[in-house]
Amino acid sequence: MAVEALPAPVVSVPRSPFSAFWFAFSSNRGALIGFFVVAFILLLGICANFLSPYDPLEQFRDVTKLPPVWVEGGSWAHVFGTDPLGRDTLSRILFGSRLSIMIGLSVMLISTFIGIVLGLAAALRGGIFDVIVLRIMDLIMSIPDLVVAIMIIAVIGPNLTNTIVAITIVFLPRYVRLVRNTALVELAKDYVTASRVAGVGPLRLMLKTVLPNCMAPLIVQGALGVSDAILEAAALGFLGLGAQPPTPEWGSMLADAKDLITSNPWVMAMPGLAILVTVLAINLMGDGLRDALDPRLRRS
Amino acid sequence: MLKFLLRRAALTLPTFFALMFVTFVMIRLVPGDPIEVRRGERGISPERLAELRHAMGLDQPIWKQFLDYVWALIHGDFGTSIISKTPVAQEFLTLFPATVELSLCAMLFAVIIGIPAGIFAAVRRGSVYDQTLMGIALTGYSMPIFWWGLILILVMSNTLHLTPVSGRIDLIKYYFPPVTGFMLIDSLLSDQKGAFWDAVHHLILPTIVLGTVPLAVIARMTRSSMLEVLEEDYVRTARAKGLSTWRVVGLHALRNALIPVVTSIGLQVGTLLAGAVLTETIFSWPGVGSWLIHAIFRRDYPALQGGIMLIAIVVIIINLLLDLLSGFINPRIRHGR
Repeated sequence: MAVEALPAPVVSVPRSPFSAFWFAFSSNRGALIGFFVVAFILLLGICANFLSPYDPLEQFRDVTKLPPVWVEGGSWAHVFGTDPLGRDTLSRILFGSRLSIMIGLSVMLISTFIGIVLGLAAALRGGIFDVIVLRIMDLIMSIPDLVVAIMIIAVIGPNLTNTIVAITIVFLPRYVRLVRNTALVELAKDYVTASRVAGVGPLRLMLKTVLPNCMAPLIVQGALGVSDAILEAAALGFLGLGAQPPTPEWGSMLADAKDLITSNPWVMAMPGLAILVTVLAINLMGDGLRDALDPRLRRS
Repeated sequence: MLKFLLRRAALTLPTFFALMFVTFVMIRLVPGDPIEVRRGERGISPERLAELRHAMGLDQPIWKQFLDYVWALIHGDFGTSIISKTPVAQEFLTLFPATVELSLCAMLFAVIIGIPAGIFAAVRRGSVYDQTLMGIALTGYSMPIFWWGLILILVMSNTLHLTPVSGRIDLIKYYFPPVTGFMLIDSLLSDQKGAFWDAVHHLILPTIVLGTVPLAVIARMTRSSMLEVLEEDYVRTARAKGLSTWRVVGLHALRNALIPVVTSIGLQVGTLLAGAVLTETIFSWPGVGSWLIHAIFRRDYPALQGGIMLIAIVVIIINLLLDLLSGFINPRIRHGR
């Protein structure tokens, strides 16, 4: 007698952490839109060399102050128009996206790295080291962020690298405190005690046992940190304390254009729109990340 | 209560000292000798240089210079501006009311619109209204306010001619001596016809620009806090009693939902002052923010040093007061760790 094959039992495989995350993230429409816009802007920035029609510094002296193509008097040769020096706005915006993303990512990576080192050390060592680190962070946070950045720039001088340095210092407290506080919560848990009893050294304990469990809020903070850094860098550029002309940085482009508000408003409108779209997209994505990774985390 | 007050005040002392140290070091890190920077290219005789260095205390050992600096600060001497030759504290106090006036109006604007918007979005959770309001709020939160200001000037002032572009009042039409430093109050006191409305007109755009980010934060905060409270048992009880939605929200939920919102308003003080630097620059608003930026470009380092110190002191004191206030309202904070 032939034994009929039983239908294979339906085994429900638990979702892997990543697919669980992706499921939660992709069901959020805004987050998904944000993600694709960010990816698109990233692509534009990376390929700025190939995509931009002209050199961002090249001056077309016979077509200055040209409006964009959709306004009367515009030309397809300069889709977003030109500024008073005849530089192509589209090319400058494209190269500006590269700069802004570079600033945002550098600030985020550097401050995450320092934040992890200082935060974990403060949590593990405790005592006077912890107090000193926290006091320094409190000091930075007690002054409005832009004022701290201005103070640092006044000392080290305005340029692109120093913008990154200043903004990193300004945003450092958020990362340090976040890592320290999450690490302290984790350190009190049983699995950490178990690893300690098993004889795990402090370095391994912090990096392999505790750190992975602090990652969720850190990723969220990192994403939102990129958009904050882009805004801050543009603000410094606008005040003339960031990237210096003729660098095609969005903030300093706005500063150049602010006196043309009546004669040539489009030169002023485009860079600001670029900042808004980029920051908004990153924030949408960051909100989605937060909801997907850590529903308890609330952002004011 | 007194013990809580003293302990909380004592905690700010190390911050003050660290701040003095940082501003002291900052000035010494700025490239160029302060006297050579001041004397420019004309040159200066060695005797005169030594004399000036002595007058400024620069020939003293560095620890003595620091102690002198701390001593001066404790006595309210925040240095003298190189450009205007007036004490920094005096300049700061003349301009500070303008910043306070603008910040208060911006906060009022943010609260009046933000809280109702947040409540409405929470009650109609998931509806089109909720999504639209929160979309606007996130856009406001992401707004580069220096661009937002320029766009508003372009539309409201240059195209529609509804509002003036810069300043606090039309100085050609109206002049009166400052009494309080607050233009709205001074213009009323001056008895000049139309002065008050002119001052209000000048305030509108800067208020909107500076209030945009706090408005977005407050709306989002109110919504999430309200949503949390609406899940509570006592709200369900109130609903079960058959009360209308808005009665439940207004009477039972609102008071508890507003606690975290009020705290977050306090945390916005720093955001407001940072935003004031940008807003004042755009609208030529004669406050401490634009003054600070001018100080940098004129290389007026004593003004910069003193100004940053004074701004930090203001922020620390406001945060201290808010802490004390919340300790006063909520005994759990007072007796807690």
